[in-house]
Amino acid sequence: MTDRTAKLQSVSLAGKDIHLSFGRNAVLRGVDIEVPAGSTVALIGPSGSGKSTLLRILNRLHEPDRGDILLDGQSVLKDDPNRLRQRIGMVFQHFNLFPHRSVLDNVMLAPRRLKRLSADAARQLALAQLDRVGMKHKADSRPAALSGGQQQRVAIARALAMGPQVMLFDEATSALDPELVKGILALIADLGADGMTMLVVTHEMGFAKSTSDTVVFMDHGQVVETGPPDQIFEAAETERLQRFLSQVL
Amino acid sequence: MNVFAGKLFALVATMLLICSLASLTLAAPIAADTNQCRPSGKDGAIALPRQLATANRPREDKYTTADVEPLSSVDIGALGLHTPKTLTVGTLSQAPPTSCLSSNGHYTGYDNELLRAITAKLGLQVAFVGTDFSGLLAQVASRRFDVGSASIMATEARRRTVGFTNGYDFGYLSLVVPSGSQIGGFDDLAAGQRIGVVQGTVEEAYVVDTLHLQPVKFPDFTTVYTSVKTHQIDAWVAPAMEATNAMRPGDTAEIAGYTFGLGNYVAYAVAKDNQPLLAALNSGLDAVIADGTWAQLYTDWVPRTPPPGWKPGSKSALTPHLPDFAAIAERHRRAVDEVPPPKSVLAQLRDSFFDWSLYKQAIPVLLKTGLPNTLILTVSSSVIGLAIGMVLAVAGISRARWLRWPARVYTDIFRGLPEVVIILLIGLGMGPLVGGLTNNNPYPLGIAALGLTAAAYVGEIFRSGIQSVESGQLEASRALGLSYRASMGLVVIPQGIRRVLPALVNQFIALLKGSALVYFLGLIAGQRELFQVGRDFNAQTGSLSPLVAAGIFYLILTIPLTHLVNFVDNRLRHGRAGAEPEDPLDRIASTTSQEMT
Repeated sequence: MTDRTAKLQSVSLAGKDIHLSFGRNAVLRGVDIEVPAGSTVALIGPSGSGKSTLLRILNRLHEPDRGDILLDGQSVLKDDPNRLRQRIGMVFQHFNLFPHRSVLDNVMLAPRRLKRLSADAARQLALAQLDRVGMKHKADSRPAALSGGQQQRVAIARALAMGPQVMLFDEATSALDPELVKGILALIADLGADGMTMLVVTHEMGFAKSTSDTVVFMDHGQVVETGPPDQIFEAAETERLQRFLSQVL
Repeated sequence: MNVFAGKLFALVATMLLICSLASLTLAAPIAADTNQCRPSGKDGAIALPRQLATANRPREDKYTTADVEPLSSVDIGALGLHTPKTLTVGTLSQAPPTSCLSSNGHYTGYDNELLRAITAKLGLQVAFVGTDFSGLLAQVASRRFDVGSASIMATEARRRTVGFTNGYDFGYLSLVVPSGSQIGGFDDLAAGQRIGVVQGTVEEAYVVDTLHLQPVKFPDFTTVYTSVKTHQIDAWVAPAMEATNAMRPGDTAEIAGYTFGLGNYVAYAVAKDNQPLLAALNSGLDAVIADGTWAQLYTDWVPRTPPPGWKPGSKSALTPHLPDFAAIAERHRRAVDEVPPPKSVLAQLRDSFFDWSLYKQAIPVLLKTGLPNTLILTVSSSVIGLAIGMVLAVAGISRARWLRWPARVYTDIFRGLPEVVIILLIGLGMGPLVGGLTNNNPYPLGIAALGLTAAAYVGEIFRSGIQSVESGQLEASRALGLSYRASMGLVVIPQGIRRVLPALVNQFIALLKGSALVYFLGLIAGQRELFQVGRDFNAQTGSLSPLVAAGIFYLILTIPLTHLVNFVDNRLRHGRAGAEPEDPLDRIASTTSQEMT
């Protein structure tokens, strides 16, 4: 696997001074976040702190009220959001597989439609991605016939099939049975080792500590502290982060 | 799987039952003579009831023309006909012997045969369309029909709406009561009794204006007579000829009295301002009186002694020679003096519902005419309903107010109105506007009305299905880079449709049954759907068996449909990989076509 870095043209992702309100409720209040090319950033914080919303701003599922999004150093707010999303893969807490399609169809759909691949080429691509996450043997099953861990593997394969430059994970293990969490985290860690730029919203502090390059702590729609895992977990500066860590650790 | 096997068994059992019914039908002997839509001939002669021989006939006659133009001066190009050289006639399928549909699907009866003879004299073609009496005069006035032919009494009130030819028949009323009733004649009628009439007829006017009573209104003669026999009403004020014709030996009803109604004579109705057509029909009428055709048809179909001083046609028309009907009736009465004993309840039930010979008569017509028409109506209105319904659903969940709002209004209106109101409003109201496009065929309008109504329901079904799909599905699809439209079309809507498949099939079943309502619009014989075919046989024979046969056809269509949807639903739920079409759009198409079968 010496050609990993050659295969992945790692790019950086950043959000600058992001603001978003739903009505009178300010969800994000001037967030700055940076994910350097090829690095893994863990995003932690209490529920309702705006972590998931921030992810959806970065691939423009929500449009920010103010601020800018930079992919590979370029602002992408003027681009076609559909093209942007092809470059940024996303994995959800509840997998969100398409239940009316087989596992293979789930993975094939976007490459087929958006990259205009032939049915055969799309199938080869999808099978390769399923193989990568260890799900090739379930290609013909319906999502409902899979366990949660298996569904999340398929969802990861589905996102990877578009060949994204950045991956966003939104509490990818929160809906899983405890014994399945480890496998998914290992898969995410493998992706990071391959040089994928990743922003991972997680409640798994062990994962954040062991796998991420940087940890970002958010609360009340703002970034409170940023730093390498050692610093965040061993030498928290702010009282808010200390309180949060005392509750989750 | 057990459940499914059980259902299969039920289905097979239903089919077997139906097949055995059919085979019984084939084994049954040829029909006893129950067809009421055929000439009775001289032997059916009726003397003028004694009560009427001395009664005062209403008012002097100021409308009958003194004479007519000679036939040779009629210009058939100037008659203002709807279709050039063809007389389009609105008539009834259920009023034997004056107008009815024969068992081989031709409009006939005394009125219509006479009109055929008249149009032959004039050199015109004639096309008959069946309709409802209550709507007939309005349709003549609006020139949807050139002529109304339905034993129409030419009354003052009706002359405000339409014009009338000279008389070709007279009418008097009879009072039909259940056997053993206390009512002995018109004088015994009083408030509080349920007195049946057919809506819009001269009998209704008579009960309201002359007797000052409130009648119970019925759509046709068959229904009102059945209600008398079953004691659901106390009396039926009936046109005498139709009543006599409907009554069979052994029926639990009798005639309690006779009276003259309103108006002097029965005539054809024509649009009020169409003087050339009126004059031409009058000329034709005098001509068929002169050559004896009138007397022949009168004797064949409605043989009864005319009241004193009445004759058909203009004042200068020849006085026709008629046999002495009173004498014939007297001879005939003596010959068949033995009245058969009343039938037992069981025999009555059997005749009403399980007259095999009638099944045998009705089933081929139901198959050849009724079934195809019902399917055409249902399938084409379903296509309209699905297409517009999908547009309504997508507009209804749109973020744009200018799309959401019209969809909402449309749905509220079409879902809030009874189907029959929509059919009448669109069928009769739009008729004159789009008459050129549809060639005055109400069939497309009926389909449009059914389809537009179905669209409102289908739209709501689709909308609820689409909205029930979790928001994460749209989000996941969009996160892959698929556009909103692609995400809706490939991910959200297919799932939404699947969820509402059972509700959609219910809607199609409702549509299948609702297709019976197009009969309100007036259909030619070949356009009749299952219900109308059954209804016409029912009217010809007075037996409910043909309606039961039509009902069985509906069940044959609807029961497998419900089982099919359960099967399809199951299959979609549990998925049969490999058995599904490759392209998701194909898949939408294939689900819809399954719904339509």
